[in-house]
Amino acid sequence: MKPQYKWLPWLFLAPALVVALTFTISPFLNTIVLSFTNSTTLGGGSFNGVDNYIALANSPQFWISTRNTVLYVIVVVPLLMVLPLLLAVLVERNIPGIGFFRSVFYSPVVASMVVVGLIWTWLLSSDGAVNGLLQSLRVIQEPLPFLTDTTLLLLSCMMVTVWKGLGYYMVIYLAALGNVPKELHEAAQVDGAGGARRFWSITMPGVRPTMLLVGLLGSIAAMKVFAEIFVISNGTAGPGGQARSLVYTIREVGLGLSGEIGYASAMSLALFLLTIGFSILYLRSQRTDQMR
Amino acid sequence: MKKLPMIALGLAGVLTIGLTGCGLGSGPSGNEDSSPTDGQVKGEITFSTLQLKPTFTDYIEGVIADFEKANPETTVKWIDIPFQGAQEKISTDAQAGTLPDVINLNPNFAQPLEVQGAFVNLDEAVPELREKYVAGAWDAFQVPGEDGSFGFPWYLSSEVTMYNASMFEAAGLDPAAPPTTYAELFDDARTLAESGASAGFTGMHPALENRFITDLGRMGVPLMNDAGTEWTFNTPVAESYVAELAELYQTGVFPSDSLTQDHAKETEAYQAGQIALFPSGANFLSIIEENAPDIAETTDVGPQITSEGGPTNVSVMGLLVPKSSKNKATALAFAEFMTNAEKQLAFSKIVTIFPSVTEALDDPYFMDDSDGSVESKARRIAAEQLTDAQNIVPVQFDDRIKAIVIGKVQLAMNGDLTPAEALDQAVEESNAITGK
Repeated sequence: MKPQYKWLPWLFLAPALVVALTFTISPFLNTIVLSFTNSTTLGGGSFNGVDNYIALANSPQFWISTRNTVLYVIVVVPLLMVLPLLLAVLVERNIPGIGFFRSVFYSPVVASMVVVGLIWTWLLSSDGAVNGLLQSLRVIQEPLPFLTDTTLLLLSCMMVTVWKGLGYYMVIYLAALGNVPKELHEAAQVDGAGGARRFWSITMPGVRPTMLLVGLLGSIAAMKVFAEIFVISNGTAGPGGQARSLVYTIREVGLGLSGEIGYASAMSLALFLLTIGFSILYLRSQRTDQMR
Repeated sequence: MKKLPMIALGLAGVLTIGLTGCGLGSGPSGNEDSSPTDGQVKGEITFSTLQLKPTFTDYIEGVIADFEKANPETTVKWIDIPFQGAQEKISTDAQAGTLPDVINLNPNFAQPLEVQGAFVNLDEAVPELREKYVAGAWDAFQVPGEDGSFGFPWYLSSEVTMYNASMFEAAGLDPAAPPTTYAELFDDARTLAESGASAGFTGMHPALENRFITDLGRMGVPLMNDAGTEWTFNTPVAESYVAELAELYQTGVFPSDSLTQDHAKETEAYQAGQIALFPSGANFLSIIEENAPDIAETTDVGPQITSEGGPTNVSVMGLLVPKSSKNKATALAFAEFMTNAEKQLAFSKIVTIFPSVTEALDDPYFMDDSDGSVESKARRIAAEQLTDAQNIVPVQFDDRIKAIVIGKVQLAMNGDLTPAEALDQAVEESNAITGK
């Protein structure tokens, strides 16, 4: 049976296509074009071949940003895959009042990153609560420079990213846990399997596809990290800007009245390729794992 | 069905070709002169300010009403832009050719647009006005390598040294003898830090992003070459200054988190009684009074910190008229009206800022501190400084250059770089951007 109007599906797709073309595809293509120009925020500019990419390759700031971004993914993503799962297992049980804890764990997700960042800046400052606690417990003698030491600053930002993302991924895991057959747990319990054994042999395989999804979403989010670093470092990315991420540098280079849009576009494209590369590598490694 | 991929491919091709031109062009739109500068003063103009609402709404609306009364056929539409995001809005407006007819900018914001020829040259359009304004303020809107000046200087602010007199006393310093030179400032800061160690306060805050480059200028360090094309501040004087900053930071004279903090945090620290010295604009006295009355009560003021033979600094706000304005004659008349002696004097009586026209600056109001208040004292000190003051910070010191320079100084202060390495790297990396 032939459809009467071949264009009808396109008509239904049109609103979504127009939105996608206008706000996603067209800016993306524009970024590619601009990356080969010396355009600025005030307009102007002409094609300059691969000059921006050569400048990128020779820029220490670009390599510091790339190093920090990759580090961010390596540290944050495994934590975001495991900790929310443990949390979801914990709050999955139907105990009276558990709804309260679910809401509490989810609350950082809906809080504004700026507010969260300011609270953590206060907590992590030299005379803040974290240093106060560590000093009163006699773990440290002098306050730790969480905000002025590059490594500690990056670790602090990573911790905030994990803390803020826990609730979101916990909800995803909660949905996945509901699909793990209860009978399997009951059967394993009858066979004498303990909680840890059941978690490893039943829960983990049951939520494996969700872990894959969380890993992918987590790595894309970690690649785009900006607000945590910007707010907690007071807009400086630490001493000498050494804790900068790629998005932080793209913003620094591309914004303002003397912003270099061409150069920033080239950096955005490098971030895009890095994200795609990471995602492909990650998906492949998971597929190889599953085939075993 | 084979047609579809072809159509998609064609669409993508057309789109890509169409996009090829996006973001490219000849710079800000409408730079060609679109109306005469000496036409009739009538019609509607738009006027934008930087973060003056709501504190100064009554004053601005009052001046607009007076202008419209004096020029009955005119209408002024006022818009206020918050500082945050102002650069993005201005660059978008400049690209679209929709800049307001009269725009309030500081010299650093104005410079990238001045270079592209976006504003009316006042030395050509209204040459007779130059002599009415403080020379240093008028010159602040010049662009190195270009003829002319592009902005009416509006209000000025001049740094004074605010300090907590009680902390001075507690540290055994004379509260009636504030520091006036860098050597005295740092000596006092050391004494205060030593005394405040048990009382929970320290000497001062470096607020590098706000002061570092100005400090170098005040010390007589040549910041740029004469052509304004290269940075030149890696001198022995600058090196010993960075070495001193590092020593002050590492010995706790500056608060431990201050390395990456800005002027806003410095203000908070002073208001919280965590630092004893606060060199900043005299207009901050009213902010301290509002937020921390206890600290305001014990605050006294001294002159701007300088070095022997070095200049004093003045910060300038200005009003500029874009060439794209469709009503330049009215825009110029309004900018002149807004910056005239009467209006600026009235503005200066609302907040501790200073007029940019010499006639207003000569008013006895600025020299009269007979009421004994700290505000009056600060006003007199700042007004005395203004006569020979310069806008020390080069207009090329934009956010990117600032981030590079301050970043290197931070690395020197926490010991990752030597002062010489930090300054050499800062100059080299800044020149790579300024020279583009």
